[in-house]
Amino acid sequence: MTRKNINTSAFILLGFVAFGLPLLLRSPTYLHIIILLYLYAYLTTSWNLVGGFAGVLPLGHSAFIGIGAYASTILSLQYGISPWIGMIVGGILAAIVGILIGFPTFKMRGAYFALATIAFGEGIRVMVENIDNLGPLNINGPRGLQIPPTNIGFGNYMFASKEPYYYIILVMLVGVLALTYFISRSKLGYYLNAGGEEPEAAMSLGVNVAQAKLIAMAMSSFLTALAGTFYAQFTLYIHPKSVMSLDFSFEIAFIALIGGRGSIAGPVLGALLLRPVSDFSRIYFGSTLPGLHLIIFGTVLILVMIFQPRGLQEPLSKFYNTLLDRISGQTPQREVKHEYS
Amino acid sequence: MIYILEDAINGVLMGSIYGLTALGLTLIFGVLKVINFAHGSLLMVGMYAAYWAIILTGVHPYVALIVVAPVMYLFGYYLQDIVIKPIFKAEKDVREPITVIIVTTGVWYILDNLTLLIFGPTYRNIQDNPLRGKMLEIGEMFISVPKLWGFVTAVITAAAIFWFLQKTRMGRAIRATSLDREAASLMGINQFKVYNVAFGIGTATAGIAAVTLVPFYNIFPTVGVLFDIKGFIIVVLGGLGSIGGAILGGIIIGLIESIAPQFMTATWTEAIVYGLFLVVLFVKPSGLFGVKYDW
Repeated sequence: MTRKNINTSAFILLGFVAFGLPLLLRSPTYLHIIILLYLYAYLTTSWNLVGGFAGVLPLGHSAFIGIGAYASTILSLQYGISPWIGMIVGGILAAIVGILIGFPTFKMRGAYFALATIAFGEGIRVMVENIDNLGPLNINGPRGLQIPPTNIGFGNYMFASKEPYYYIILVMLVGVLALTYFISRSKLGYYLNAGGEEPEAAMSLGVNVAQAKLIAMAMSSFLTALAGTFYAQFTLYIHPKSVMSLDFSFEIAFIALIGGRGSIAGPVLGALLLRPVSDFSRIYFGSTLPGLHLIIFGTVLILVMIFQPRGLQEPLSKFYNTLLDRISGQTPQREVKHEYS
Repeated sequence: MIYILEDAINGVLMGSIYGLTALGLTLIFGVLKVINFAHGSLLMVGMYAAYWAIILTGVHPYVALIVVAPVMYLFGYYLQDIVIKPIFKAEKDVREPITVIIVTTGVWYILDNLTLLIFGPTYRNIQDNPLRGKMLEIGEMFISVPKLWGFVTAVITAAAIFWFLQKTRMGRAIRATSLDREAASLMGINQFKVYNVAFGIGTATAGIAAVTLVPFYNIFPTVGVLFDIKGFIIVVLGGLGSIGGAILGGIIIGLIESIAPQFMTATWTEAIVYGLFLVVLFVKPSGLFGVKYDW
C-alpha cells in the first residue's frame, strides 16, 4: 500500500470509530465526557482561527460562548423560536461583536491584545450579571436561565438521551475541522499566517492584514457562539459564571497551546490529551485533591512551552509520518510542509 | 457631602494599595516586556506567607515584612531563573515573547491550585491583630487605619524603587536593559541576571503589598485573581512600565470603586472599570502617565 492509501484508510477507520462510539459505549457518563471533549475540541479549533492562524492571543472567547448561549435560550424561552434558528442568530450577533472588538484591538501589540480581550470578556460577563431585563428581554442577571426539558424533539434541539447530542457535536467538529483545513489552504490562510508572523513584511507585499484578521475573528466568534447554543441545550442551565467565565476562555487557549496552535490537528489533540485528565481527576480526586487537574494543566503547559513551543502536534505528527514510512516501506517523501506559528 | 469625602479618602487609601499590588507588575513589564499573569498568584503566596508568619509568631502584622519581603524576592528570583529564563533563551530575538505570557499563566494555575490543595478553600483572616477594624475619627469622618498604613507603605515602596532605579548601579543596569537589551548586553550587563533581579524585586513588592492587605483582607487560594485583573487594568491605565503611574492608576480605580456606589448599584462599578480600561486601551494604549518610551 502506498502512504496515501494508508493515510486514507486510517482516517476512514477513525471516522467509523467516531460514528460507532455511542453504540459501543453504553455508559452515559463516558458519553458525557466524550461530548464535552468534542465540545472543547470544537471550541479550540474555532479559537485557533484567530489565536493560531492570526498569531494573536485572544483570552476572552467565553464571551462569544455566552452570547450564543443567551441568544438562543432567550429566543426559545420568551418567543418560542427554535434554538436552531437562535443558534444562527447568536452566531451572527457574536460575529458582529467580534468585528467590533477586533477593529480596535488588532492594532495592538501582543500583550495589549491579550489584556484587551480579557477586559472585554470580563466586561460582558459583569454586564450580564448586572442586567435583569434588557428591554423586553429577560436576562435574569447572575441567576442565569433554566431551560425546562418539556418539549423534547429535534426541532427544539432537546433530546432525552445523550446520543443525539453526541452526533450533533461530532458533525459540528468535523465541519469546523474541514473549514479550518480549507482556510489553511486558501488565500485567507496564507494572509493570516503572513500577517501573524511578519505583519510589516506582509503589508508591504500588499496583504490587507487587518481585513484578514477581522474575517478570521468574525468566523471564529460565529463558530464559538454556535457551541454556546449547544452547551445551553446540552446542560439546560446557563448562568454568567458558567458560560462566560475567564476559566473557560483560558482553558480553550490552554488546550490550543498545548496541542499546537496554528495547526489543524493541534486543538483536537490537545482536547484529546487534556480533557480526560481534567474529567477523571475531577471524578476520582475531586473531593480529596481539588484543583489537581489544573496543576497538571499548568505543569504540562510550562513543559510544552519550554520543550515543544509549537505544541505536542509536532512530535506526534513526526512520529505518525515515520510510522507511515515504516508501514508503506517507502522512502520518505518529504512534502513541503506549511508551518504555522 | 461629608460621606463622599470620607469615601473618597478611603478610596484613595485602598487605591494606593491596589497600586502597590500592581507595582511589581509594571516593573517586570518595564524590564522583561512581559505581562506577568502570575503576579496575582505571587501576591496570594505572599499573603499566605504573611498570614503564617503573623499567626505563628503573634507579632505586629508589619513586622512580618522582615520575613516576607526577602522570601518573596528569592521566590521571584528563582522562579524567573528556573522557569522563565529558558523561554527567553529560546526566543531571543522576539521583543515581546507571547510564550512567556503563557508560561506565567501556567505558573498562576499551579500556584493557585497548589495552595488550594495544601490549605483548602477556607477563607482565613487574622482576627486578633492590632490593626483590624481600627478607625481614625476626624470630625465626622472615619478613616480606616490599616488602609492608612497601606497608603504610607505604598508611597514609601514606590519612592524606594524609584530611588533604587535612579541611583544604584543595579538600578541603572535595569533601566539600561529595559531600554535596549542588546546594547545593554554589549556594555557588559548580564541580561538574565538583570531579569532575575527585576523579577525578584517585582515579587518582593507583591510580598509587601500582601503584608499591607493581610490585616484587613480575607486570604483564600483565588484571592490573587481579583488583584490580577485589577493589576492589569491599573498598569495599563497608568502606563505600562511607569512606577508613579501604577500608584496613580491604582488610586483612580480605588476612587471609582468607592465613589461610584453612591450613584449606582455597587456591582456596576466593575463594569465601569472595565469600560474605562477598554477606552484607555483604544484611545491611548501608552496609558495616562506612560512615556513614549517604555521607561
